[in-house]
Amino acid sequence: MFSRHVTRNISAYCHGEVSAEEAREFTAHIMACTKCRTRFEEIKLGIKFAEQLPQLSAPDHLWLDLEPRLGMIPSPQSTPARLFTRWQTQVAAIAAVLLLAAIVGVWCVRRDQKPVDVKAQSWSVQRIKGTPRINSNGVVGSGELAVGQWLETDGNSQAQIAVSSIGQVEIDPNTRVRLVETQPTEHRLELARGKMSARIWAPPRLFFVDTPSAVAADLGCAYTLEVDEQGASLLRVTSGWVALELKERESMVPAGAACQTRPGIGPGTPYFEDAVPEFRHALVKIDFDNDPEVKKVALKELLDYARPLDTLTLWHLLVRVDTTGRDKLYDKIATFVHPPAGVTREGVLKLDQKMLDLWRAELEPTWNRYTFPKQVAETYWRMKNGVHRRADNLQRKMFRW
Amino acid sequence: MEQRALMADQIINGQVIEACQRGDRDAFRVLFETYKDKVYSIAVYSIGGDKSVAEDVTQQIFLKLFTAIQQFRGDSEFTTWLYRLVVNACMDERRKRRRLLPWGDSFMSTPTHKKPQEKQYARVEIAEAVQLAIGELKPKFRLPILLKYVEGLSYEEIASVMGCSKGTVASRLNRGHGQLAKQLGHLREHAFQEE
Repeated sequence: MFSRHVTRNISAYCHGEVSAEEAREFTAHIMACTKCRTRFEEIKLGIKFAEQLPQLSAPDHLWLDLEPRLGMIPSPQSTPARLFTRWQTQVAAIAAVLLLAAIVGVWCVRRDQKPVDVKAQSWSVQRIKGTPRINSNGVVGSGELAVGQWLETDGNSQAQIAVSSIGQVEIDPNTRVRLVETQPTEHRLELARGKMSARIWAPPRLFFVDTPSAVAADLGCAYTLEVDEQGASLLRVTSGWVALELKERESMVPAGAACQTRPGIGPGTPYFEDAVPEFRHALVKIDFDNDPEVKKVALKELLDYARPLDTLTLWHLLVRVDTTGRDKLYDKIATFVHPPAGVTREGVLKLDQKMLDLWRAELEPTWNRYTFPKQVAETYWRMKNGVHRRADNLQRKMFRW
Repeated sequence: MEQRALMADQIINGQVIEACQRGDRDAFRVLFETYKDKVYSIAVYSIGGDKSVAEDVTQQIFLKLFTAIQQFRGDSEFTTWLYRLVVNACMDERRKRRRLLPWGDSFMSTPTHKKPQEKQYARVEIAEAVQLAIGELKPKFRLPILLKYVEGLSYEEIASVMGCSKGTVASRLNRGHGQLAKQLGHLREHAFQEE
């Protein structure tokens, strides 16, 4: 997976110009490679800017200026046999002008006045129970959640949202969400409080959820996200991967793992939910306690209780502790999975990104305990998008394990 | 956007092209009305944003088109043939202008040079900033971007227009997007997160 970077194919992937097999390799690689993922974000931003480029309208006088100059062009045949009669060509010209004006008009309205086209800028909402409300209006049966609108459930209501054509989100009681954006290159919800469960069958980084203390970026997965009244959140991933981000801080959370966030701090460190309680309590102290001494003691306790699977947590902590702590983490991870060729203690202590990525690649098979659902999601996404060519091949690979 | 290109092709069928080849002015008019906005847009973005020069270039392109249309034999799509003409004309014009002016001097010389610190960027201002950034790209990165986003062409069509491989188109678009992201990165929040 790490032998070939995919940076050259990013634009082609975003424009749907790669084969199903290439898309599969791309998504698999990009989830594991920090370098390619960073570049992917950059190119996606460039694409979003390029999409803002308008088509301009030529000035009306252009034909008037041009027509006299056509007289200077020699006639191609001495006695041209006209295919169209004069009135036919005039009618065709007028029809073409009117049709084009209509096309451009419709296009401009759709492009420049997007809020007017509510359907294209909204997601359908299905009531599950009670009376969910969209901007204070009760949803009876089903409704539309437009960009900028809030969907709110009380203690007795629940709703389901269709996330464009890429997934579903279930909204639990006492939850407040807002549709921030829905575009081909990005779909974004804001979860102000409460709990939501998302199932997404799309390429990575198309679906985002903003919370008060981090942004959850979908990498082809299913997960639940809870936000409490203080703005702290808890992410629990049930299949695939989710990235939690705030500024430079990022946590990659695989299936079976969870991650907490706090306002003003951002995402904590991911951990597998079946880790022993002592390990999890120590991690909360390392992530969110302000006292360096408490953190130091907690790190020792965490290392005592760590299992091979917990290298997920240990690897993430490498960049979040001081050099002394990093040295201890290096030793502990090395007892479970030896650093691969090219990875040295000195390099890891200096946070050499290439070395960190190499070691992570070596560790990752241990963390991927639930790879099957992710591949199902990928396959489903391709099916939904009409990409069937390599489906058989993909299924063979899926069931190989 | 691709649908627009398709509809334009449906209007410009073989009969219109044949009529143009026989010198039928009304057929020329149909052709002109169909493609004038596309050609003008590429001209504006390609020659540095000076709209009066872009008007001249657009006229030159159509004059060339009407003169050369007899040579169109239908071996390729008409749009591919047309855009090849447009791309070549814009490159020629740029070469001519480079002898007179340092590149980029005239681009959006009107009030588009907003300071990045300005907090409120309206959609129009973002579009202008994008146009400015596009103008600063090298032609080999700029033209594939224009053909993709203004004309809505596929990679294969762009490759055919530019006379290169699909892989080259992918690579140039990639680099073009990367440069746009770098140049406009400071607008990210204004452009996409405060809408």
